[in-house]
Amino acid sequence: MAVYKRRYNSYTGSLTSEWSRFFVLTRYAFADLFKSRFFVLLLIFSIIPCLFFAGYIFIANNKTVQLLMQLRSADLFNVESQYFMIILTVQTQAAFLLNCWVGPVLISGDLTNGALPLFLSRPFSRADYVLGKLAVLGLLLSAVTWIPCLLLFSLQSGLASNGWVWSHLWMIVPIVLCSAIWILMLSLISLAVSAWVKLRIVATGVIFITFFIPAGFGEMFNAIMGTYWGRLLNFSYMFRLIVASGFRERSGLLGSIGWNEIPVAAAWGAMIFVCLLSLVILNARLRARETVRG
Amino acid sequence: MTNPTIELDGLEVQLGNRTILHGLTGVLKSRAIGLLGPNGAGKSTLINTLLGFHSPSKGSARMLGLDSHTSGKALRSLVGYMPENDAFISKMSGVRFVRYMAEISGLPADQAMERAHEAFVYVGLGEARYRPVGTYSLGMKQLAKLAQAIAHGPKVLILDEPTNGMDPPARKRLIELIREIREASDICLLLSSHLLRDVEETCDEVLILRDGKIASICNLVEERRANRKFLELETFGAEASFTSSLENLGCECAVFSNGRIKVVMPDTVEIREVFKVAADRGVQIRRMNHRRDSLEDIFLNAMEQTGAADGRI
Repeated sequence: MAVYKRRYNSYTGSLTSEWSRFFVLTRYAFADLFKSRFFVLLLIFSIIPCLFFAGYIFIANNKTVQLLMQLRSADLFNVESQYFMIILTVQTQAAFLLNCWVGPVLISGDLTNGALPLFLSRPFSRADYVLGKLAVLGLLLSAVTWIPCLLLFSLQSGLASNGWVWSHLWMIVPIVLCSAIWILMLSLISLAVSAWVKLRIVATGVIFITFFIPAGFGEMFNAIMGTYWGRLLNFSYMFRLIVASGFRERSGLLGSIGWNEIPVAAAWGAMIFVCLLSLVILNARLRARETVRG
Repeated sequence: MTNPTIELDGLEVQLGNRTILHGLTGVLKSRAIGLLGPNGAGKSTLINTLLGFHSPSKGSARMLGLDSHTSGKALRSLVGYMPENDAFISKMSGVRFVRYMAEISGLPADQAMERAHEAFVYVGLGEARYRPVGTYSLGMKQLAKLAQAIAHGPKVLILDEPTNGMDPPARKRLIELIREIREASDICLLLSSHLLRDVEETCDEVLILRDGKIASICNLVEERRANRKFLELETFGAEASFTSSLENLGCECAVFSNGRIKVVMPDTVEIREVFKVAADRGVQIRRMNHRRDSLEDIFLNAMEQTGAADGRI
């Protein structure tokens, strides 16, 4: 099918491995995202807090700088588990904002003009499709949550005294695990919304609603029934509960956490349930052909 | 021995509570197969089932020996599909869209880029390849869909109503392209259309569906080879002696009411000999229609027949 010959030729060259093809979606999505200046600004805005956190760690570990700045060690916050909990809380909120901008367009763009059958008529399954789109959010949100957290942890390990790293190594687990469940839940919710709502502004609104309206209903339920279980509908609170238990702290940036109110296992269960529900919604929507029941 | 292009074995497909395809059974061996039928006959459902979009509730469908349900991925790796409805990503440029689809089919990025450009030039959209697909006219979108279907060099090309919404020159160009693709390679073609001309011009074998059942399977190549000429006559006079004289010449005759006779003529018999026999027997020929058996006849015949209602040939 050479251009100059203008005739059809079949393709006889090599093919990429099947398992890696989902990444084509991710690559194209990133290429589209980075065309948007707003996205680049948002990404930079999401990473900027980490620079302040890094600066703080540097100052907290450097006596000379403290003397120059006329600071006493007592004035400074200890770089311990609570500090990393604060970092993670700030960064997961940044991830939420980034997700609200990026998530809504990932699937709706393909569904608007019926491009889905073109993907699924190839050796490419619905699972590959979801994986490709999930990888976009997974990589992006990782870049602003657990990856900078681990880098800051490495910085602190390098600057602190020799014993610090071994006594705080356990923190790697909550940093990675808490980020992973938050990223997974955010990504799946926004993909499910993207599969149903075509307009970005509406989809972004729906994502916000998903987080705030059930939380409001939960509080109403608590007030009426005199219980705490309504907080299971407050996903942000559930996440803070998981983070607090992971870091073995009872208070964080957004106030104290009542461990006794709701078991941590229930919080994990609620978040996993939301992930599964989003998958069910995606499964119902992502079909090459719609079946009219009747 | 090569596998048939399409094998249907008691294929039944249910969507919701409705049965759309009723136990289709048939083997199609030609390289270019046309799928004909009125709206709602089940053409698109059959294509969707072959692509693995719908699961059979009974029976099976195979393409090039691969079962659409159990070997769906392997089957789809051989397929290039041009859907009936709009299917594109509106903000992408044409060439990027085709490259994207080629990469998903497994072509490495550089090869996909090269093939996307080639496919776009080949279908005649070379000048428009950097424009967003959303800005294309309906005919251009059809061509872009064809480009994405051929860019990865499939072994089977499935075209669902490819000339929908195209003006006559664009339709002619598209049909020429399809014929060219068919002749330039060993690609198999499955073309679904309700336009008989599209199928007649591009296909060797036709599967006619009606109400989700097979109404007919017809090998157009054999029909063309038989090259049978028909005379439809309206006569007045001694019918019996006239028809027996024609049969003596080697014709086959079917006599209907009111002096209507249908005559199948062998190649050796000319029309003037029919006039001569009529004059000898004192028969008046009041109307004569001379034609060949077309796909339209086959189609209309299949639509009228009720004998094939059980879905078998």
